[in-house]
Amino acid sequence: MLSILVYGAVTSAIYAMLAVGFTLIFGVAGVLNLAHGAFYGLGAYAAYVLTARLGWPLFPAAITAVAAVALFGVAVERWLIRPLRHSALAVLMITIAVGLLFEQAMYLLFGSEARNVPAFINATWGFAGLDIGGQRLLTLVVGAAIILTLWLFIQGTRLGAAILALSQDREGALYVGIPADRIYAVVMAISAAIAAAAGVLTAPFLTVQPTMDLLPMIKAFSIVIVGGLGSIPGSILAALLLGYSETIVAYAISPAWTEIVSLVAVLLTLILRPAGLLGKRAAF
Amino acid sequence: MALLEVSGLVVHYGKALALDGVEMRIEAGELVAVLGPNGAGKSTLLKAISRALPASAGRLVFREKAIDALAVHEVVAAGIGHCPEGRHLFSDLSVRKNLLLGAYLRGDKAAIAADLEHVFALFPVLRERQHQLAATLSGGEQQMVAIGRALMGRPALLLLDEPSVGIAPRLKEVLFDAIRQIQTAGTAILLVEQDASVAFRVASRIYLLEHGRIVREGRSADLAGDDDVRQIYLGI
Repeated sequence: MLSILVYGAVTSAIYAMLAVGFTLIFGVAGVLNLAHGAFYGLGAYAAYVLTARLGWPLFPAAITAVAAVALFGVAVERWLIRPLRHSALAVLMITIAVGLLFEQAMYLLFGSEARNVPAFINATWGFAGLDIGGQRLLTLVVGAAIILTLWLFIQGTRLGAAILALSQDREGALYVGIPADRIYAVVMAISAAIAAAAGVLTAPFLTVQPTMDLLPMIKAFSIVIVGGLGSIPGSILAALLLGYSETIVAYAISPAWTEIVSLVAVLLTLILRPAGLLGKRAAF
Repeated sequence: MALLEVSGLVVHYGKALALDGVEMRIEAGELVAVLGPNGAGKSTLLKAISRALPASAGRLVFREKAIDALAVHEVVAAGIGHCPEGRHLFSDLSVRKNLLLGAYLRGDKAAIAADLEHVFALFPVLRERQHQLAATLSGGEQQMVAIGRALMGRPALLLLDEPSVGIAPRLKEVLFDAIRQIQTAGTAILLVEQDASVAFRVASRIYLLEHGRIVREGRSADLAGDDDVRQIYLGI
């Protein structure tokens, strides 16, 4: 019981980190960013290069990896997405291309085998007969902190108000003087940074290899469909729902069955409530 | 020198010609109305002035500076407030947050607080409703928020697009009283309005727009005396 509670929370935290950025850039800029998984993967690979190859200490390496991916996200928005924004389909295609580019580049640079990234915390915590890896607990704590910080930032700052305004009414936002392009870049940086943070935190206990972007991308997409595209509370709720359902399925049936959970959830959502749990309107 | 000078303004929607060489000038503190049938290009004209729509040709000079290469937020910073058709409020934010977002480009906290009081004085019902979500307000109240939000940017020129659409007659009176007060306080207003009789009452000058062209212009008293104009626009 306790292990389901804790492992479910860890999985949910990872999912929430993946999904909030994905839903944010859709809600604000209307961009369905299929390169989001690549941001996650780049975070993990950057941590690998900085620590295992260059021998940097962990903490500066983690910060640098996240910052680098945030900059990469801004570059993708500025030079690939912005010129194509008039067409949602073109944006979709270019972000798929960025994802493929990531996979091929990592394959060429580091080969297809899985890479090891050292853990921040090697100790395990034992309580009530349960052993939990320190890195997983760290992921849970940092993930929760990141999402709380994002929430406070959006609710409490001028930039956050601009982000909310743009996501609720683009035309209204323009007429009060909000520079939309600049805000899109900021949101892309935030979105990429949170995905990269998830990559850095989970790299020590999940696999780091060129195709690692695909599964998180599917999870983020599923969560956002279940929670409602563009809704941050919706994606947090759906992340918890999916994280716990998968953990329960893994314990009750078999870990092999976990991947089916998100597919069933997406299917049920699209049939029963196309707008998602907290979404305003159907996105498709 | 006029506050705003529009010359030879041409705007296309795709291949369709929406504005065909519009000439217009607005003096500081003046209330000018644009009338015309649906699809004449009235909203397009306002959007082109605030640079939300790109112009194919023409010049826009505001306070003696060319604004035809600026981004929308730079036009707002230059002193043009746009209260768009359909209001475009931030529906899941409180009335107060909507109004404060109107001052997005300003940093002067004390003056912003004073201007918020000003808006509440102009529309007292908004003070009561300031913590409600904008979406929960009636159409007329939402229009007040939209006008208040535009005023919070301290514009020298306010573009008002169809403020009375879908609003109860009693609230219409309140709204146009407020619009007159805004003008009396020194803000120039360019008003696009369906209800021609109201427009003739509040505006000092009128432009008639048809098929993307200005076909008549003049003092509202003169135009109201013209038989053709009376028949077409006032139905009397």
